[in-house]
Amino acid sequence: MKRSRAVSLGILGAAAFGLAACQQEEQTDAAAFPDKESCMAAAAQGGWFTREDCETTFAEALAVHAETAPRYESQELCEQEHGAGNCGGDAAAGSGGGGSIFMPLLAGYLIGQALGGGRAMAQPVVPKAGGGYATPTGGTQLSRLNSTGKMGTTAFAKGPTTAGQPPMTRAAVASRGGFGGSAATRSVGS
Amino acid sequence: MDRISVPERPEWRAKAAELGFTFADMHGEPYWDESSAYSFSLEEIEGRIEDPCTELHAMCREAVARVLADEALMERMGLPRLRWDFIRDSFEAGEPEVYGRFDLAYDGKGPAKLLEYNADTPTSLYESASFQWLWYEDQLAARVLPEGSDQFNRLHEALVERFAEIFPADTDLHFAAMAGAPEDYATVETMAWAAREAGMGAHYTDLEKIGISEEGQFTDAEDRVIGTLFKLYPWEDLFADEFSAHLASAQCRFIEPPWKALLSNKAILPVLWQMFPGHPNLLPAFFADDTKGLADAAHLMLAGHVTKPIFSREGASVTITAQGRVLERAANRAYDRHPMIVQAYAPLPVMGGFRPVIGAWVVGETCVGLGVREDRQLITQDLSRFKPHFIEG
Repeated sequence: MKRSRAVSLGILGAAAFGLAACQQEEQTDAAAFPDKESCMAAAAQGGWFTREDCETTFAEALAVHAETAPRYESQELCEQEHGAGNCGGDAAAGSGGGGSIFMPLLAGYLIGQALGGGRAMAQPVVPKAGGGYATPTGGTQLSRLNSTGKMGTTAFAKGPTTAGQPPMTRAAVASRGGFGGSAATRSVGS
Repeated sequence: MDRISVPERPEWRAKAAELGFTFADMHGEPYWDESSAYSFSLEEIEGRIEDPCTELHAMCREAVARVLADEALMERMGLPRLRWDFIRDSFEAGEPEVYGRFDLAYDGKGPAKLLEYNADTPTSLYESASFQWLWYEDQLAARVLPEGSDQFNRLHEALVERFAEIFPADTDLHFAAMAGAPEDYATVETMAWAAREAGMGAHYTDLEKIGISEEGQFTDAEDRVIGTLFKLYPWEDLFADEFSAHLASAQCRFIEPPWKALLSNKAILPVLWQMFPGHPNLLPAFFADDTKGLADAAHLMLAGHVTKPIFSREGASVTITAQGRVLERAANRAYDRHPMIVQAYAPLPVMGGFRPVIGAWVVGETCVGLGVREDRQLITQDLSRFKPHFIEG
């Protein structure tokens, strides 16, 4: 026999890797705002969220930001990742402990419609160096606020807690993006 | 070799969708096409494709050694001098190859002729190893194909064996492709399935998300250090990227190894012809500026000649000329700036209005399977279709 006796028929984009890049995820209605007031103004125009949703999601975004925003050992390192003037001290760290901790300021928040009803979902966004915004894990990126559209529901998954954890050092903040610049075509295989 | 009509599996589109084979149609055209299939005899598979391709791979290894020993030939490869030691060291250290695909012109009569060796970043692995295999098993079960028939497709098993052979159990391997190219991702994922089955840990990262740690090691999107990287991204592009200075010092093993940069390179074709002139599976080939070699070989190129850049993907920047007339010129000229080689023209056969090209897969150092793509054009490009094949009983 000149063929494989068995071939594992995995599902492309789902099986081999813990977190697959091409995974199809559920989409939901979402909107991004710089502050609660912009959300309120949009809610007044009608749509899937109310002024009350704006209140509750903003409060949740503030709390999630305090809990999960990336934390750095220096202002300089934080600004390298999030842009000049976009970082502040970690209020939650208090005065005890050795040395300061820095984290990006809240730039706005995402509000998303819960699939199957229920409370609207919230997620803070922080600025990125070079422009744009990202959720605390960096998993979802946006070019601008005051926008609405469809978004994968994983954008609203809460990132790991960083409050009370040691801040990232320069070594932990690896330099990225040094590969991929020379491709002549989108698909590079042959 | 024949192209015969076979009934399509009634449910194959649903099956493709269920398996995540999202690019079964591409650019609004069918890509996977099972309305007909290519049939071969067993003698043909073994004598015309399998054994010759295993031999071609051995010849290619000899050619790598030859190029590495000759600075003038290294110059011809168009790779940065700064990386020559990195390439040489990988070959001298015996870093093992995993896979490659020979593209062959074969008409069922004469010997198969090597068009090029996709030795570094071959794709269409999923369609060849998995979906084509499933097609055969389904058609056998449905009695569309007879008992006693077969398919030349040990690709998946051979990959599993190869991973188990070259890595200790539980080795963590990273697999990377450029984000946003499902065809590339499918090849990477198929490779990762085989690695998992061989007992390895398989992790995916987008190539663009690879970072460099303070210690100079490559890291994935989640900051895990990359010890071994399968990269579906050409060596010549890695060498031109910003991180290229870290390649040699990152303590990272690569699949394919760096020396494959000499084989996926069409400059190897004139080297092979110099080393093995007249070999039945080689086409006469010369560097485009080798005017004497070309003049002396004019009698070998009566059917025409093909001009190809040393680096190119999916037929880009290829031109076919016969009797002083351009027969076909690829519209995509993205690789025009590279040095060119000239190869004798071996027309693909025309079967049912299409021109099939044979893709013969090599795993390790052995030919283990094949996939056929066909195109209406003389140059097989990105609108080609993948066709299943079987061996007659």
